[in-house]
Formats: sequence, C-alpha cells, structure tokens
Amino acid sequence: MPEWIDANLVSILNGLAIGCLLFILAVGLSLVFGMMDVLNLAHGAVYLVGAYTAYALTDGAATWTRFVAAIAVALVLGGVCGLVLAAMTRPLARRGHLDQALLTLGVALVLGELVLLAFGEDVLSVGAPPGLDGSVDLLGRSYPVYRLAVIGVGLVLAIAVYVVVERTRIGALIRATVADRAMVESLGVDSRKVLLGVFAAGCALAALAGVLGGPIYGARPGLGESVLILALVVVVIGGMGSIKGALIGALVIGQIESLGRALLPDQASFLLFAAMALVLLVRPQGLFGARAGLV
Amino acid sequence: MSTPQIDGPVAAEPAEAVAVPASAAPAAGRRQLALHAAALLVLALAPFVLDPGYLSTLGRILGYGLLAASLALLVGFVGLPSLGHAAYFGIGAYATGLIGIHVTASAPLQVIVAVAAAAAIALPTGWLVVRSRGIYFLMLTLAVGEIVFLFAARSEDLTGGFNGLFGIPAFELAPGAAVTEPAPVYWVLLAIFAAGYAILWTVTRSPFGLALRGIRDNQTRMTALGYATTRYKLAAYCLAGALAGLAGSMVTLQQKLVTPADASFTTSVAALVAVIIGGAGSLWGACLGAAVVIIIRDEIGSSLDGHGPLLLGAVFILAVYLLPGGLAGAVERLGRGRS
Amino acid sequence: MIETALSRRQMLGVMGVAALSVTGCGSVGGDEESGDEGGSTALKVGLVIPQAGVYAPLGVDMKAGWDLYLAEHGGKLGGRSVKLVVADEGEAPDKGVPAVQRLVQRDDVDVLVGIVNSATALGAKDVVAGAKKLLIVSNAGADKLTAGDVPYVWRSSFTNGQIGFAVGEYLAKAPEGRDGAYAIAADYAAGNEASAGFKAGLEAGGGKLIDEAATPFGTTQDFQPFLSKVRSSGAGACYCFYAGAEAVAFVKQYQEFGLADRIPLFGSGFLTEGGVLEAQGKAATGVRTALHYSAELDNPANQAFVKAYRAKTGKPPTVYAMQTWDAAALLDQAVKGADALDGDALAKRLESLGEVADSPRGAWSFEDRSPKQTVYLREVTPKGSGFVNAIEEELGSFGPAPASA
Repeated sequence: MPEWIDANLVSILNGLAIGCLLFILAVGLSLVFGMMDVLNLAHGAVYLVGAYTAYALTDGAATWTRFVAAIAVALVLGGVCGLVLAAMTRPLARRGHLDQALLTLGVALVLGELVLLAFGEDVLSVGAPPGLDGSVDLLGRSYPVYRLAVIGVGLVLAIAVYVVVERTRIGALIRATVADRAMVESLGVDSRKVLLGVFAAGCALAALAGVLGGPIYGARPGLGESVLILALVVVVIGGMGSIKGALIGALVIGQIESLGRALLPDQASFLLFAAMALVLLVRPQGLFGARAGLV
Repeated sequence: MSTPQIDGPVAAEPAEAVAVPASAAPAAGRRQLALHAAALLVLALAPFVLDPGYLSTLGRILGYGLLAASLALLVGFVGLPSLGHAAYFGIGAYATGLIGIHVTASAPLQVIVAVAAAAAIALPTGWLVVRSRGIYFLMLTLAVGEIVFLFAARSEDLTGGFNGLFGIPAFELAPGAAVTEPAPVYWVLLAIFAAGYAILWTVTRSPFGLALRGIRDNQTRMTALGYATTRYKLAAYCLAGALAGLAGSMVTLQQKLVTPADASFTTSVAALVAVIIGGAGSLWGACLGAAVVIIIRDEIGSSLDGHGPLLLGAVFILAVYLLPGGLAGAVERLGRGRS
Repeated sequence: MIETALSRRQMLGVMGVAALSVTGCGSVGGDEESGDEGGSTALKVGLVIPQAGVYAPLGVDMKAGWDLYLAEHGGKLGGRSVKLVVADEGEAPDKGVPAVQRLVQRDDVDVLVGIVNSATALGAKDVVAGAKKLLIVSNAGADKLTAGDVPYVWRSSFTNGQIGFAVGEYLAKAPEGRDGAYAIAADYAAGNEASAGFKAGLEAGGGKLIDEAATPFGTTQDFQPFLSKVRSSGAGACYCFYAGAEAVAFVKQYQEFGLADRIPLFGSGFLTEGGVLEAQGKAATGVRTALHYSAELDNPANQAFVKAYRAKTGKPPTVYAMQTWDAAALLDQAVKGADALDGDALAKRLESLGEVADSPRGAWSFEDRSPKQTVYLREVTPKGSGFVNAIEEELGSFGPAPASA
C-alpha cells in the first residue's frame, strides 16, 4: 500500500499541476461560450501565441525579469486576440453560432500557421525562471519545483477569478449577462462592452496559460490543437459558463491525464473522450453548467 | 449580410442559415439530371486529357468530394454539423484495406464490406448523437471521432497503428484481373463516386429529403406534425456515414494505403471546410469545395513551402464572411441576379 | 422561369469541378536547375523531404546537405547537370506516398532521394518497384526496408535495430549495465524495432533486461508515470528511443524527476541530435547515445564537411544532413559510369561500388543495400555556449541486421 501511494502521489501532484494549468486555459473558453454561445475554437491557438511569446522573450536566459515580461506581453497579446476575435464574430451573430464557431476555426488555422512562419517547425523549450528550475525531494522522490509553483499560481488565480466574478460589480454584470443577456440590456447596460471584455480577458488568460505552461510543455507546432481539445473536454465536463465547473473539470481532467495515464496508459485517452461523450449525452450543460439543455 | 432564405418553411426559431437550391419542379429536375450527366461525361473523358499524376489527384478529389457531399447532407439538409465525420471515412478505408489484405482482392466485395462496416458503426453512434443539437452535437461528434481515431492509431496488430496499413494488393474486378493502370482505376473510382452521388442526390430530392429540411428548420413543428424526427435524423446520419465509408474505400482502392490520419480530427475539419466553402446546402458545391481544399493543400501547398494550411485558412475565413451559402450559394445568387 | 437560370447555375458549378481539377492541378512544385545543360541528358532528381509537420526541421537539414554536395561539385552528379524537384512528404504516408507517386508519374524523375518516415518509405517502395526507379533513402530506418527482392531501394542511413543493438551490446559489458537495464521507447514501429535491437544486443552480450515499457506514441507529453516505474525497477541503466518533441520532453523530465543522477540514460542518437539538443539544454548533460555519426567526429572528411556546412548554414551538421550528402555522393558515383538512368542500371552500379571511403561518418559499405558502418558512443558535453555530442568511443562495426548476424 505505501508503495502504491508512494508511486502515485507524484502522479496525483502532477495531475494537480496540469489541472491548474488547464483551469487558467479553460475558464476563458467557458465564460465566452456561456455568454455568447460562441465556441472559440481559436482558444488553443491563443495558448500557442503565449507559449511562443515565452520562448521568444526567454530564449536562452530565463531570468525573472524576462519571465515576468513574457507574462505581461502574453496578457496583452491575448487580450488583443480576444478583441479581434470578438470583433470578427460579431457580424456573424445573426447567422448563427455554427458560423461563428467555424470562423474561429479558420482563425485558429491561420494563427497557427503564422506562428509557424515566424518561428519555424522546431520543438522549442522554455526555461523556468531561476529558483524554480530545480527539483525538490518529496517523500523520497524528486519533483520539479516549477510544477509546484504552477499549482500555487493556479489556485491563487482561481481564487482571484472567483472573487472578481462572485464579489464585485463587474462580476455581477458578467454573471447577469451569462444568465440573461436581454434583461441586462434592457437595464441599460451595453452588453457589448461586457462581452468584449470577457472575450479579451478569457483570451488573455489563455495566453498566460501558454507562458506558464512553457517550462512544462514547451512550444511546438500542433500544441494548439492538443490543448484546444483538452480545453473543450474540460469545458464540456465542467459546464459552460461556470467558473466552478471549469475548475472542477480541469482538476478532473488533470487527474485523468496524470494518474489515469499512470494506471491505464493505453486506455487513458479513450477515457477522456468517453467521459466527454457521456456528459454531453447525459447532462449536456455539464456538471455545473449555467445554461440548461439544448442550444 | 445573410442570404434571405427563399426556400423552405419559414422558421419560427433561428435556424442555421444555409442556402438550398430550389429544386422542386420536375422540369428543373430533368435539366439538373442532364447537367449532371454532362459533367459525368466530362469527368469520364479525363484520362484522355490528363497525365497519370493529375489523374490520381482527380481521383482523390472524387473520394474527398463524396466525403464532403455526405457531410453536406448532414450539415446542410439536416442541420447537424459534425466534427467527427472522418471516423466513418476511416472505417470504410480500413475495412477495404483489411479485406484486401486478408480476404479477397475483389473490389466489389471490399466496397460492400466497407459500406456495411461504416453503416454498422454509424447506427449505434448515430443513435447516441442525434439527440443533441448545435454546438453540443459538434462536440459530441468530435469525441466520437477522436475515439475512432485513437482506436485506429493504437491497434497496431489490426490496423498497423500509427504507420498505417500498407501492402494492400491491387484490387480486382474479376478474379485474376487486377486493375493497375491509372485510367481503369480512375474509371472505377468515378463509377463509385457517381453511384454514391446519385444516392445522395435522389435522397435530397425525395420526400424524405424534404422532411429532413423541415426538421432542420423547425424540428418542433415537424414533431407536432407527427414526424418521428429522431428516427429521420438517425436514418440520415447512417446514410451519411455509410456514404462516407464508401468514399473511404475509394481512397484505399487508389492509394493502397490507409493511415489513422484518414479518421482524424484534421480530416473531419478539412471535410467541414470543404462543405462550408462549397455551400452546405449543395452537393456539387461540397464536391467543388473538396477540390479547392485538395488543390490548395496538396498542389499549391508545396510551392508555398508547405504552408498550404495558411492559404486554406484564409480562404475559409473569406468564405465564411463573404459567401454565406458557399460557392454554390454565390453561383445561385449570380443566376438569380441575372434572371 | 427559374429553369434557365438553374441550368446556367448548375452548368457553371458542375463544369467548375472538372475545370478546376484540370487547371488547378498545375505542377507548381519547386523546380530547380543547377549546373549547365551539358551534352549528356540532365539527371532529374526527386528530393522527398518533410517541409511541413513534425519532421520539417529534419527536411531543412536534408536539403542543406544535398545542396552542399551539389555546390561543392559544380551542380553536377556523375558529369550530368541536375534538375531537382522537391516534394513534401508531410508527416505521414497519406501525404508522402502520393508525393512520391507524383514525382514518378507527373514529374518523371530519374531517381528519388530522401524520406524520413519509415511508413512512407515502405509505401514508396511499391511505387518505385512498379516504376523501376532508384530510390536512395536518406533517413528512414525501418529494419526491413531494403531487404527482399526489390532491387531499387537503397539506403544511406541506418536501421533502427542496428543502433539499438550497438547500445545493448555495450551495456552488457559496461559497469553501468551491471545491475541490468530498463528499456523504454515510444510505441510505434521505429521505437519497437530499436527496443528489440537493444534487447538482442544486450542479451547477446550476456546482459540482463530488468523490464521494458512502450509509451503511447504521439499522445504522451508527461512521462512521469513511466519514469516512476523506471526508478522503482532497480535497474542500473536506462535505454530509451525517442525523437523530436518526445525526445525533448523525455530528457527534460528524466532530469526534472531526479532520475538523471541515479540511473544513467542511454539512447539511440536521435534523442540528442540537432534542434532537439538545443531545446534540451543542460538537462541532456551526460546522456550517452549511440549513432553512426556526430559532428564532433575527427576524420578529415568530416572536418571538411563540418567546415563547409557551417560556412553555408551557420550551424553544425546533423546526421540527417550527412546522410543526404552521402546519398548525393553515392549518386555521383553511380551515375558516372552508368549507361542508363533507370533503376536497374543504377542499382547495378551501386552494387559494384564497394566501400564508400570518404564519407564524413568514416568508411562504410553496403550490406543488403543498407549501410554496414561504425557506430559511435557519444556523450552530451557542454562546448562553448551550447552542447555537443562528443565521441566517447567506437562501438564497432554493425550491419543492418546484427541480431540475425
């Protein structure tokens, strides 16, 4: 028994780190869908932009200043991507959600290729800032300090997002717009600004996830798609438009990716999609979805 | 600006906007038939005009064209956007290859098994997914598609895993008569394509097709009218899946090679891109879209240093914005503008 | 009423499919001419390299190696000017095999060179067998690629089993291997063949395999669960086969999760070759790999090669560049005395070549149309501002199928 815990505690810890990263990534996707019914399929590409930004700014020397600078630049770039995506999808609002989702798909293709054009097809590494780039002894096993830091940052961000959304006026506005947009507009609030803000913030967080995930996953072609699919699974299982759902979903998927792969390496991928399909069939709005039933 | 819908019942709830060519009048139907026959003739004459290299590309276009057309049935006529349609394409492709390697090189048998296998998987998966709509359906089909892809990629003993299935012998039409020359291979593919397309075309013009469009535009009303909407959707889904399997077998017959990529998310996306570029409500539009995708990706792509997807993405975005009904819709509006 | 408009619409659309297909299929692949149109007919070469996808960095190196040889020889091979057609093999056979088909059918090349992906190479084998054209594979390592009775497929690279066997044999005798070895590889053909070669070499040398694992290929980004098992196995050394992104992730995590200090890591050379080594950085220090080449090799041919390659590209050459350079050299020899450019004539010339003396990797010869060559043990060492694969020792000469030797 101690052997099992011993070996798997590290996996569980790993799952927590992955889960926190996924939460930062997926919360934006969830909110945007909850608000506008727009499935932003370019979300993974924005993560990629963040990851490559981290590489570009920390190439070789990963100092604290460079890492923080990378975070700042990524947040700005992500925000800009969000605004651009929001602007691009608005004209299609009358044509339906499918067309909007397809547009974001096209943007994802183009953005992904532009990144390749700029950085080439190599697999690139991002270094962790000094002090976080070592390993620490945990129950007799080495564990990278950086991943512990990601857990910390993820939890702090989760609390921050929760506080903003649940306890501030802006948050109340966001929640109201998710629940009933028409009502909010009839109260005289320009829901367009709320939507733009949420889109921008969500994408900024996705880019941040890219930077934070850099020392773990690096930056390489194809990473955007892998990450998008994971984010979709998280949002589906956790529920669209729900922050609590995004957190729980992310933690669950993190464990499947980590502990699941440790215990059932060959079945873990199937497990992921089977869980996604199951939730879509049985409870489409997800575990904590803010909207009920069919689109 | 969205295309005002002049066809179909007036929608009470917002419907996914697709342009559907008016095709009710029998005279128009005869004319359409004549046009399709003319196009078939042109395509049949291709081996006398094209080099074998171009001919094999045209063969690929026919295969992916049938895949796109079967998806157009789902997206345009039933209103079910699938991101996992390539799963059935892959099943058909693998079935053809596996029969070719282990059982017989007889093409008719391979094709029949491919269609049956694809339909057999489409039935239970379809039963699960047709209950959803819109974005939920999109993601559910994505999940199903990924599961099929993973199965194909992991089962090394059965499917050759990531490397794919190769060593598939040339197919035979009659025992001992292997078809290896480019022109006969192409004609066999054209025949299969024509058969599949004909089935789709007949279905879209039948009362069944009309009912599907009704379900797409206003499912509640159709249910109130007494239609078993879920069963209609399921039937359409199985038909689309079976024809995707047929398209998959076409590709295997030509390439003699199957890889998990044929069942992947990337192929599903390419098919959806083809349908949107060509026009979701149009079968020939979807084929045209497939031609655009393949030409950009495979032909022009190499001269862009492999950056074909960039051009494709840009074309796709333009199509979504400027051509709400796809190329078919644009052609339609041109025609309407003239008359 | 609407009928005439309909007919024009349909006509437009349906004709469009055929017309687009015909006109759109224009040959727009890269066509390059080098040298002058001499008296004898030019040699048309199809270079099949990955230009997009995960292997694209290898494609860049391969083209650089090819271009370098031609630049050094006035753009001619065997006295004939060269017309080069580059085709993109993509990531998988579904793109690669049609690309090869196009080169053979549409561009009518005389010979083909290149190919990274083993499955694509196996598919290409059928194509060149039917067309009777020579193919010199300059990377793909599938064990059985050149065996059998198709005389047109030759190789200037390696086989997966060959390299794995060399490591296994070494570890059987080395002090690190005293407590047995653990073998872990990506679960696809190349990884499986390398692992099998390693096991065969280990056991042939009297060593012990503690346990082995195969990680799901392409979907594993986190190796931690597997690394835990390696750690608790009690093995004294670990052999692995990974390439590309997986190599970066594996080596970095091997160090992050504390195994690098406890269980020395060995591997097939691709683990630390080229751009992958740059991405791994200091996490790769001390990793020992076996390969038939390193830019650090000290023979005169390699010194000249490295110098010229550096001058041309600013970076040291990789094994991928070297293999393609060698392929060009082989073609140079083969075409020189050939009376025709078809597969049979050129294959006969290659058969009569004997030892390839002035290759940057050292002397080697063909066995079953694949190289029988010296495999070196290299160790990742810091040099200047980066890292290199320093040569530690020569492991011996290995044929393409050492397990059955």
